[in-house]
Amino acid sequence: MQKTLLFVDRVSTWVGQAFSFCIVLLTLHVSWEVFSRYALDNPRAWAFDGMIMLYGTLFMMAGAYTLSKNGHVRGDVLYGFFEPRTQATIDLILYIVFFIPGVFALTYAGYYYAADSWRILETSNITAEGPPIYPFKTVIPFAGGILFLQGIVEIIRCVICLKQGSWPSREQDVEEVDVEKLKEELHVKDEDIEKLDVYVTKGKPQ
Amino acid sequence: MIKLRREQWFGFTIMALIVIPVVALTPWSNLLDAHLSKDDLGVLGLLMLALIVVAIMLGFPTAFTLMGMGVFFAWLAYRSVNPKLAVNQVLDLFVQRTYGVMSNDVLIAIPLFLFMGYLVERAQLIDRLFKSLHLATARVPGSLAVATIVTCAIFATATGIVGAVVTLMGLLAFPAMLKAGYNVKVSAGAVTAGGCLGILIPPSVLLIVYGATAGVSVVQLYAGAFLPGFMLAFLYIGYVIVLAKWKPDLMPPLSAEEQRVPLPERLQALAAAGSGVLATLSRALAGRGVPGVPRRTVLMQFFVTLLPALAIVAVIGTAYRLSTAPEAQASAGSLVEAGGALAADTGETEQSGLIGAEPAEPEQAQQAAPVEEQRAPASEKTEAAPEAKAERVPAGPFFYAVLAIGLAALLLIYWLWNWERLEVFKLLLTSFFPLALLILAVLGSIVVGLATPAEAAAVGAFGGFILAGIYRFIAHWRERAQSGASSGEVISRTLKEFVRIIKESSFLTAKTSAMVCWLFVGSGIFSAAFALLGGQELIEKWVLSLNMTPLQFMILAQFIIFILGWPLEWTEIIIIFMPIFIPLLPHFNIDPLFFGLLVALNLQTAFLSPPVAMAAFYLKGVSPPHVTLNQIFAGMMPFMGIQIIALVLLYTFPQIGLWLPSVFYGK
Repeated sequence: MQKTLLFVDRVSTWVGQAFSFCIVLLTLHVSWEVFSRYALDNPRAWAFDGMIMLYGTLFMMAGAYTLSKNGHVRGDVLYGFFEPRTQATIDLILYIVFFIPGVFALTYAGYYYAADSWRILETSNITAEGPPIYPFKTVIPFAGGILFLQGIVEIIRCVICLKQGSWPSREQDVEEVDVEKLKEELHVKDEDIEKLDVYVTKGKPQ
Repeated sequence: MIKLRREQWFGFTIMALIVIPVVALTPWSNLLDAHLSKDDLGVLGLLMLALIVVAIMLGFPTAFTLMGMGVFFAWLAYRSVNPKLAVNQVLDLFVQRTYGVMSNDVLIAIPLFLFMGYLVERAQLIDRLFKSLHLATARVPGSLAVATIVTCAIFATATGIVGAVVTLMGLLAFPAMLKAGYNVKVSAGAVTAGGCLGILIPPSVLLIVYGATAGVSVVQLYAGAFLPGFMLAFLYIGYVIVLAKWKPDLMPPLSAEEQRVPLPERLQALAAAGSGVLATLSRALAGRGVPGVPRRTVLMQFFVTLLPALAIVAVIGTAYRLSTAPEAQASAGSLVEAGGALAADTGETEQSGLIGAEPAEPEQAQQAAPVEEQRAPASEKTEAAPEAKAERVPAGPFFYAVLAIGLAALLLIYWLWNWERLEVFKLLLTSFFPLALLILAVLGSIVVGLATPAEAAAVGAFGGFILAGIYRFIAHWRERAQSGASSGEVISRTLKEFVRIIKESSFLTAKTSAMVCWLFVGSGIFSAAFALLGGQELIEKWVLSLNMTPLQFMILAQFIIFILGWPLEWTEIIIIFMPIFIPLLPHFNIDPLFFGLLVALNLQTAFLSPPVAMAAFYLKGVSPPHVTLNQIFAGMMPFMGIQIIALVLLYTFPQIGLWLPSVFYGK
């Protein structure tokens, strides 16, 4: 079971990470556009469409990746104090009540939205003769589908947690604040920090 | 069986207080047979709002809570009109809202600024920055705390990641302050308060999110938040200096030994040859040189010494061009445009200084790119210039004022200039100025209108690439002395690390932007449902019936936002609750731009207010075991007080925030 879960995790992660390089493309694309507009006096008509598409694809396709790393923002006031079993119960109910209908609606509606766009081979109307927009609209059902799959995995996680009383493990990933790495970066060791206690307790009765 | 803690009791009580009236007020009978009147729908809208607060407090990912609730309530609203079409209408609405978020031209800037922040953070220049600022401020009372706040302000502005800044400064500045005998509370306060500055000072992601939600121009928000942000930083610094003067035992001054700037060997040799920097250097250049010091080094020092003069001459020159330019050109816009061009110029000289310090050929290829990049805004300036040549007017008082100030500054600088200051200046040149220039170039091009926020963010991210590349290369080059690696190995190591940095930054960017933007996807359908149900009208009617004065309304609104900052993150507050406040503003003649500035300042306090202050927990994570959370909280209190003073100041003198936008955009 754990293997299947981790496999789906890996698929979401792989997709999200693959599309995360959109940000590098986006940076280069826009930087070049600014340069070419001001220095070469040669703006490209489709530049704006390109920007929108790279940005939209980036965050939509990363939705499942973020969910698989438990990265979507949640209200932490009470949740953090709960026992894992309580957490799992709440999550399980709310996944079924909110997540499944919401994401299913998005995927279903997105499928027909994209299909309509494919039927007429829609092009962007921001500029005359804009680039084709139907591949971009296809991102919605795709992102929704992967997210839905990841949601089911999360539901199974909740059930496992209810059974065994602790959350099943996730695979590690880069984190925004990785304290150990930052310590290494500044060559600070734990002993050094502990030695500082002298200054904190100085002049105070223990 | 289940033991509840105090916080949990408190939370559950609030939930019960919300849920019970909701259950009581729900028009159950009408709901079941789908005969909802307009009033019923409005009530449902308010109930939906109450429920979302409860649901968020339960801790389920907010984006999906919003989605599920939005879909359900939108369906209820449509069903009351036409049950047959309801499902299709909801689906259409949802997918269109989603596509709206995907093609939103304001939100594009978010991933780009995030990316820039992650790259800059990974360039690992914070310890250089802190060291150089610490030496530069060594004689100021409370110098370490001042250096901490300045470092935090600059670094947090460039990266915007509160957690990383507080952790890094907790590892770097906090021990330094403790060792120097600083009071634990004051030290903790300086680190946490400084780390939160990045939320307010542009380019901040919070302002983009507000702009996208409230429909206010991000450009104007940036121009507006600039002065309040700096005002807050200066208030912090002023407080620290006054406190250090008043109670020296809290922040003992550094000993003479610690104040001394360590000079490298070659500079010591030069210093031995004479105390006057300019005189000694020119003598060394003209004559036989100084024994033990290669000519290259002398030339290099001479060049660095001349940099301030070059910068001042450039400013005076620009002022001359501007003041003699024909009337139409001498608008405020072109004034600052020239400032941007100037920043680009100094950027070039400064970066060439970097190359000289670290002789490295492969780097030059990388360097060529940024220079070109920075020239982009500059070249626009020169294109505009030929028209200006037509009729030059004689220089006015403005030019002479600049000339006088420039000359005075020049005299002062070279009068004070000594070997130690030269060394400090060199340190600042490689840490403080690149970051400051990056921020100024990004902000300048946005405010002046050369680039949209998204474009400026992309160029900023590109600058982040270069910064990360150069700083990692320098770090590896320095390590070479110890490991004895060949220059080829140094390059391959740098490249490897560079690739890793880009990968990590991209992944983090993807995750964080997915977090923010999916929240927008969820709130898209949620706010649509709220509007369909007519909840907004009900709230408006109710608020107007209270007959509040604008001041009362403002205080109430800020208070509610402050309270919401306790259970919710700023993203949720802005995305979910701002759409409710914004339509009320015209009734009270409040400028949404001004309101946004107050909200940004207000939400900053939320990061420092116990018990949820994130900054405190990040600091606790890296502080010595005997530093308690309560000490950290106590240290943050005075700074929170200053934030409230700043909030009052901004409200009393709106010009602090509105002056810059009015200068640039005539608002």
